[in-house]
Amino acid sequence: MSNAVNDIAIVGYAQSPSWRASDLTEPQFLFPVISEAIERAGVERREIGFTCAGSCDYLSGQTFAFVMNLEAVGAWPPISESHVEMDGAWALYEAWVRLQHGDIDTALAFGSGKSSPGVPAEIYPLQMDPYTITPLGADPVSLAALQARAMLDAGKITEREMAEVAARSRKVAVGNPYAQVAGEFDVDELLASPYVTAPLRKHDLPPISDGACAIVLATAEKAKALSDRPVWIRGIDHRIEAHQPGMRDLLSSESTRIAGERAGVGDAKVDVAELSATFSHQEKLLTEALVLEDSVDVNPSGGALAANPVMAVGLARFAEAARAIAERGAHRAVAHATSGQALQQNMVAVLEGD
Amino acid sequence: MSKAEPTEAVDPNAPVTGMDYFMQLDYHELVCPSVRRYRSALIDGKLIGHRCPKCKLVYVPPRGYCPIDTIETTDADEVQLVDRGVIANYTVVTPVQYYGQEETEPFVRVSVILDEPGGTMSLQDVVDIPVDDVHIGQRVEAVWLPPEERDISEIGNRSWGSADGAITGWKLTGEPDVPPDQVPGSAF
Repeated sequence: MSNAVNDIAIVGYAQSPSWRASDLTEPQFLFPVISEAIERAGVERREIGFTCAGSCDYLSGQTFAFVMNLEAVGAWPPISESHVEMDGAWALYEAWVRLQHGDIDTALAFGSGKSSPGVPAEIYPLQMDPYTITPLGADPVSLAALQARAMLDAGKITEREMAEVAARSRKVAVGNPYAQVAGEFDVDELLASPYVTAPLRKHDLPPISDGACAIVLATAEKAKALSDRPVWIRGIDHRIEAHQPGMRDLLSSESTRIAGERAGVGDAKVDVAELSATFSHQEKLLTEALVLEDSVDVNPSGGALAANPVMAVGLARFAEAARAIAERGAHRAVAHATSGQALQQNMVAVLEGD
Repeated sequence: MSKAEPTEAVDPNAPVTGMDYFMQLDYHELVCPSVRRYRSALIDGKLIGHRCPKCKLVYVPPRGYCPIDTIETTDADEVQLVDRGVIANYTVVTPVQYYGQEETEPFVRVSVILDEPGGTMSLQDVVDIPVDDVHIGQRVEAVWLPPEERDISEIGNRSWGSADGAITGWKLTGEPDVPPDQVPGSAF
């Protein structure tokens, strides 16, 4: 990391399962996730100095839904808290910045979303340029399909390679209790299925998911007191590209490249990378932008193709990267989150064990 | 999802200064288990809630947790409530005629704090109480629809304690008012 910053560590993390449609309310399924993250961190709930949430009222279809989510935190007597209308990874970033002030020693970040009540293909075009893009009904699948088509035409990937990413993700997800899509799939059979939006088939798309993730951060001194195995955030950065897809080069992810360089991905060997490759072809763009070697274990959780609780899926990459270090013997891991369409905005963090 | 309709004749030579964009999003949410039990109870003419085992506050409908003590609550914390209480607060709403507004005359929404074991019914309608007469401390009871007319299909996870379709509103019991400073939980 180029800027002088205070070391911050992940000391607790928890996720809900990823459901196609949960009959619990968002605060109801957030409740045990937040409690588990806090318990694993070993802090008292009332000691937490700052709380930041990531969620999207358009997904819930309810004005101020994010206020209801605070009921799962415990906000009386009043607490110091904030909210981002973004993935929980950006809530973590705000919490990380807040901890840099040095006057508090712990922070809670969480992300949650219910994609099941609405129709994602109708909701997401509303976040695009309202004059030229929204009326086209440009949803994430359509824009990702344009990106995949550009990659295929440029010879950067094949449909078989895309299916191989999906098959591998679903296979490793068998070992992930939070995954929604998991199992053994034959690549030839996957390729025999029809297109959903050409050139994307169903396996190239993420599932529609409900779910939540929570992470507790601590300053260095506090982390050492709380945990035998703190997971250090050695570098973190996020960059954004133009909103208008026509102004971007869809064949590379420049914002990921810059964020990865600034987070220090290339400074030492990477064991594990948890990438928010929401569509199968995006994994290649991300591994290229981050200059990850073949030896890196990419998305051992199954990634976003196995579980895609929008607004939590990026933060879940942090939780999974931390889990790889704290529970599975990895030393250095990369966590990546994305926002916007076709990898418009990207966050990259480098996590390390002691 | 959306349709764009010109609202009036447009001069083709005039500069474009704006555009109409009408949109609609549909959401279909599964009703959570605790609200399903609440809905069933309403059909039977009963009100239920969850009582926090720690602070003893009662939540209507049952919520599955106490947000103050951050304790999860379950069916074991379910309590049957009474359909009588006191108006603890009220708001007179004067409708602004925004797009989609169906109300035209001022109306009132009251919060009713139920008698023991407690619970708050918020955003409730009143029956046979003129808007100008509503005040804090009035004793009220629920006016239930006949069993055969009860329909709880509009009550979902986000109904904020509504009993619409089972209770039409709250009418005066005829008992003397509770002095405002003796209303449970009163801030006055």
